[in-house]
Amino acid sequence: MIGKDLALNPLTLKQWQRFKSIRRGYWSAIALVVALLLSAGAELLVNSRALVVSYQGEWHFPTYGDFIPGRTFGLDYDYETNYRDLKRTFSGQGAGDWVLMPPVPYDAFENDLKVGVYPPYAPSITSRHFLGTDTTGRDIVARLVYGFRLAFAFAAILLACNFAIGIAVGCAMGFWGGAFDLLFQRVIEILNNVPFLYVIMIVASVIVPGFWTLMAVMVFFGWTGMTWYMRTSTYKEKSREYVLAVRALGASSTRQIASHIIPNTISVIVTFIPFSIASGITALTAIDYLGFGLPPPTPSWGELLSQGTRHLESPWIGGSVVVAMVLVLLMVTYVGEAVREAFDPKQFTYYE
Amino acid sequence: MTSYFIRRFLLIVPTFIGVTILVFAVTRLVPGGPIERMLQEAAMAGSDVAASTSGFAGHGASSLSDAQIDQLKAYYGFDKPVIVGYAEWLGKVVRLDLGTSTRYSEPVWDTIKDRFPISIFYGITTLILTYSVCIPLGIVKAIRHKTTFDNLTSAVVFFGYAIPGYVVAIALLTVFAGNLGWFPLSGFVSDDFDDLGTLGKAADVAYHAVLPLIAYLAGSFAVTTMLMKNSLMDNLAAEYVRTAIAKGMAFRRAVFAHAFRNSLVPIATSFGNNITLIVTGSFLIEQIFNIDGFGLLGWESLVERDYPVVMGILVISSILFMVGNILSDICVAFVDPRVKFGSGESSQ
Repeated sequence: MIGKDLALNPLTLKQWQRFKSIRRGYWSAIALVVALLLSAGAELLVNSRALVVSYQGEWHFPTYGDFIPGRTFGLDYDYETNYRDLKRTFSGQGAGDWVLMPPVPYDAFENDLKVGVYPPYAPSITSRHFLGTDTTGRDIVARLVYGFRLAFAFAAILLACNFAIGIAVGCAMGFWGGAFDLLFQRVIEILNNVPFLYVIMIVASVIVPGFWTLMAVMVFFGWTGMTWYMRTSTYKEKSREYVLAVRALGASSTRQIASHIIPNTISVIVTFIPFSIASGITALTAIDYLGFGLPPPTPSWGELLSQGTRHLESPWIGGSVVVAMVLVLLMVTYVGEAVREAFDPKQFTYYE
Repeated sequence: MTSYFIRRFLLIVPTFIGVTILVFAVTRLVPGGPIERMLQEAAMAGSDVAASTSGFAGHGASSLSDAQIDQLKAYYGFDKPVIVGYAEWLGKVVRLDLGTSTRYSEPVWDTIKDRFPISIFYGITTLILTYSVCIPLGIVKAIRHKTTFDNLTSAVVFFGYAIPGYVVAIALLTVFAGNLGWFPLSGFVSDDFDDLGTLGKAADVAYHAVLPLIAYLAGSFAVTTMLMKNSLMDNLAAEYVRTAIAKGMAFRRAVFAHAFRNSLVPIATSFGNNITLIVTGSFLIEQIFNIDGFGLLGWESLVERDYPVVMGILVISSILFMVGNILSDICVAFVDPRVKFGSGESSQ
């Protein structure tokens, strides 16, 4: 039903066409979606587990699920099979067994150490460390890919929480006004006057956060931005004729807000999505960089950045993550600009 | 209007109490607070020592006696309930006593005071550079809208908008300091700074300042430039400029005498917030370039769990932040006499 509404709504259609006509935003959106899909299936592309193992005519798919002990493949140990070694063993035996590894045969946590040489190792195609390794011998491509997935997921969940609270509280403030509005104005004023990054650092230094605690802390200090915008636009919409009309028809407050006011403020909400994603990624990376974010060994861009600045003699560490971050943030911002243009076209009447 | 600003200044007090009590409570109430962390770390260090020196048996190295823990708690003021502790702390702050740094064993204010000059140097330089670059650039971009110059600079501006300052800082550090070696890796001055002449000193400071300044600029540059451009374009398209030109005024004069003044209003809305940047710098950029300013002090004191300094920095930065917001409003009222604060629905 909703899909049908969206498809038939001429305004939505027009916005979508306007969005599509902004080429760099449109292509960035496609590129981002592809990157997200690829990273969602990252286990198939960047992983130390093999994609397919053919052993004595039987096929194994070790990517997902429990680990397969080495004995299954005729090795002499019970812990997880080392598929890179297995591949070498099989090709040495020439018995028709084979192993198909992912393009990058490393995961984000294993330390691929070599005898007699200390990490970080420079990028090399032969060892399949395409961007080299970090200071403990973990593959940088793997850290980047899994770090991207985590940072994007973090930013998306953060956005969902902030928006849920922001929209609910903001609408209520704008709709009811009065004491409720005043109370939350004070609360928002306090939270807005907190030096955000510093307070997060203080809290994180005390509680040593995991994924969800860090999220909770950031939501606690971050929901106010959206709230303020929603309050303003609800306040504006509330006094317009169509809301007066439905109220005169006897619609309840919930109905007025949910089916009339929010759909009309959707452009505010949608316009903020890309920029909130960008700021979520930026904030998480900054906190990780400063060492107060997700605990190691979580793959994190911030942690890679901090390794990069401490090991300038290995420029591939800092270089790869800076390039990755620039690319992702540029694309997200291009999408954001295009969305803003599509929803709120600012027609410049400029002097000629 | 005056009453509005007086009320805003008075509102600093409850907001300040709200902010500090929040952070104060967090440092106290959360399980695994500073003392527990300290004990844990001591225990880990102890067991490391015990493991490495084979002569001692492992036991006993990890735990402090209860009396010692109580002493430690009393030393940090953790022996009292949160409200009492907070009231005592606040009472001291009101008397301008921020307590004693546990790391340096000197008054917190002295520790913080030493770091101000460096942050202020960067802050003021960034401020001057930002406005002296962004305003002219914004004007030129508005007048030459959609020309090659406009499009080229837009690309740079967009880049600065999308990429946060600290990523720019790390990129600069990696390329120009680490790889090419053109600029120093870190610090505010060289080690032999005291032996240099006046000119040499100035050159030394400038040499160390190039990369951090670019990083600072990257943060504030894009927003200000685009603000200037867009608001000037809006004003140029306005009726009053059209009228002025129709009456025979030269274009140049119409831009600078009429449109320009009015388009400074949006710029003024963020002017007061510069005070925060001037004094407190940036945690990230100071940490990246190892500049011994206010931000780096905040980071170090957190890492070292020097909570009196942490709270002291919070006090100063949140007061500055609030004063900055009010200053911005004063600036707006000053540039734009039409603005009336405090009547009816608030400015939003």
